[in-house]
Amino acid sequence: MAEDVVFLPVRQLAEGIRARRLSPVALAEVFLDRLERLGPRYNAVVTVTRGRALEQAQRAEAEIAAGRYRGPLHGIPYGAKDLLATSGGIPTTWGAAPFKDRCFDFDATAILKLEAAGAVLCAKLAMVELAGGMGYRQPNAAFTGPGVNPWNREAWSGGSSSGSGSAVAAGLVPFAIGSETWGSILSPAGNCGLAGLRPTYGRVSRHGAMALCWTLDKLGPLALTADDCGLVLEAIAGRDAADPTTVDRAYRYDAGDPAGRRFRFGVLRGITDGCEDAVRENFARSLEALRGLGTVEEVALPDLPYDDITRTILFAEAASAFEDVIESGAIAGLTAPEDRYTAYARDAILAKDYLKALRLRGVMAREADRVLAPLDALVAPGRSTVAAMLGGEVRSAIRGTARDVMGAVGNGAGLPAVAVPNGFGARGLPTSLQFMGRAWEENTILAAARAYQSATDWHRRHPADV
Amino acid sequence: MSEADAVRAEVETLLALVRARYGSRLDADQLTGVRTAIEGIVQAARALRAVRLTNADEPAQPFAAYRAEP
Repeated sequence: MAEDVVFLPVRQLAEGIRARRLSPVALAEVFLDRLERLGPRYNAVVTVTRGRALEQAQRAEAEIAAGRYRGPLHGIPYGAKDLLATSGGIPTTWGAAPFKDRCFDFDATAILKLEAAGAVLCAKLAMVELAGGMGYRQPNAAFTGPGVNPWNREAWSGGSSSGSGSAVAAGLVPFAIGSETWGSILSPAGNCGLAGLRPTYGRVSRHGAMALCWTLDKLGPLALTADDCGLVLEAIAGRDAADPTTVDRAYRYDAGDPAGRRFRFGVLRGITDGCEDAVRENFARSLEALRGLGTVEEVALPDLPYDDITRTILFAEAASAFEDVIESGAIAGLTAPEDRYTAYARDAILAKDYLKALRLRGVMAREADRVLAPLDALVAPGRSTVAAMLGGEVRSAIRGTARDVMGAVGNGAGLPAVAVPNGFGARGLPTSLQFMGRAWEENTILAAARAYQSATDWHRRHPADV
Repeated sequence: MSEADAVRAEVETLLALVRARYGSRLDADQLTGVRTAIEGIVQAARALRAVRLTNADEPAQPFAAYRAEP
């Protein structure tokens, strides 16, 4: 099979597979070859799961030939961030040297759901060690090396789902699963010019996923289009008895054509303060495009310490979740020097302050919902800057070196958001636009993102030399 | 005590706690990094404490009594 299938959206690949113009086995071979050949260039891959992939692809091919087509992910290759447990001797490393040989004897629920949908697991993808929970300040914070950006190989692919971003952007897999505690889906999606969907907290089971922060962790897709994100979300969403935070609320992706729909968008006052010039200019152009799809109005949230609320919850829960790794001194084996000691400082978080953050989180969630209620989405730049350079320092709201009200509120309140590319900035690196909605409104924000992508062509551009 | 002195005192107290627990593992540069991280934690905590809440403002945290089924 020729490589002209690379950079086809999942929806188009699925049409070819369903019509039996595309062979799942041949498709898997194309992407397995690219993962093995090009994966090292981007430090994108921990393990190529060739054996499991070919087994799944052969099963898909046989089922489809027998008329048992499961749906749009049947026979579609994908990669999973290496914090999702996989059985069968496939390591699950959490991106961290101390765990590089560790295997589980079960599959994470998201992996099982994708298998049930007929998707083909081709790789476990690289990530920032322990999903960035130890306070990293630089791209080189994984035992696989820094995630390399396919748009500019001297730049970072983003974190912490770095391999999920670079693998999709380089055409190594049609989609990938990432995780977000604060920014880890939207950041690599934005840095790599992709669509990335952070679902509502409780939409997707976290069972079998590394816990960084129990009340902040979400799993979601990175793909070429917002439409593809919806297809993947439908496959992985749903109640799971093994994750009590999941809700009994069915999700069916509504892929209906948003043409003709008028959206009501809000923009937080001052949201581009501190953004790079290109980010601000591209966002202004995006707003012009959005005015063609509906209305745009300025809105405001009350003055609350949003970043401090979410940061305190994140630090306290991460310190507890990784208590054994920290107190045993195993963090000394991590890659980034700052990851070997920063977490010790988290013992300084007082229980009363953590509880205050949880109480303020309730206020934050109610205020965010009040602002969002009359809107279809809040829109904002996906990131305030383009990707950091590999040798540079990563600016991060988590550490307080950048500002990210949308991320603090969105993650702290568990709200869904989708990022899509909206132009380019310095050094030929992509910028992005995010749509954030009320809880459980993934279909609304995906419709808005699809409408934006129908009116623009940023998502059809791909890196040269991949 | 000035605001700055209060912050400094809190940072030093918490740093002493961390040093007592983990000091044997930390060199001078790392201790400086830990101090910087604690300064951030203290600043965040003070921002949280500055917001007044009422007795009715509960943590946004579900807890449910457990009983094995059946």
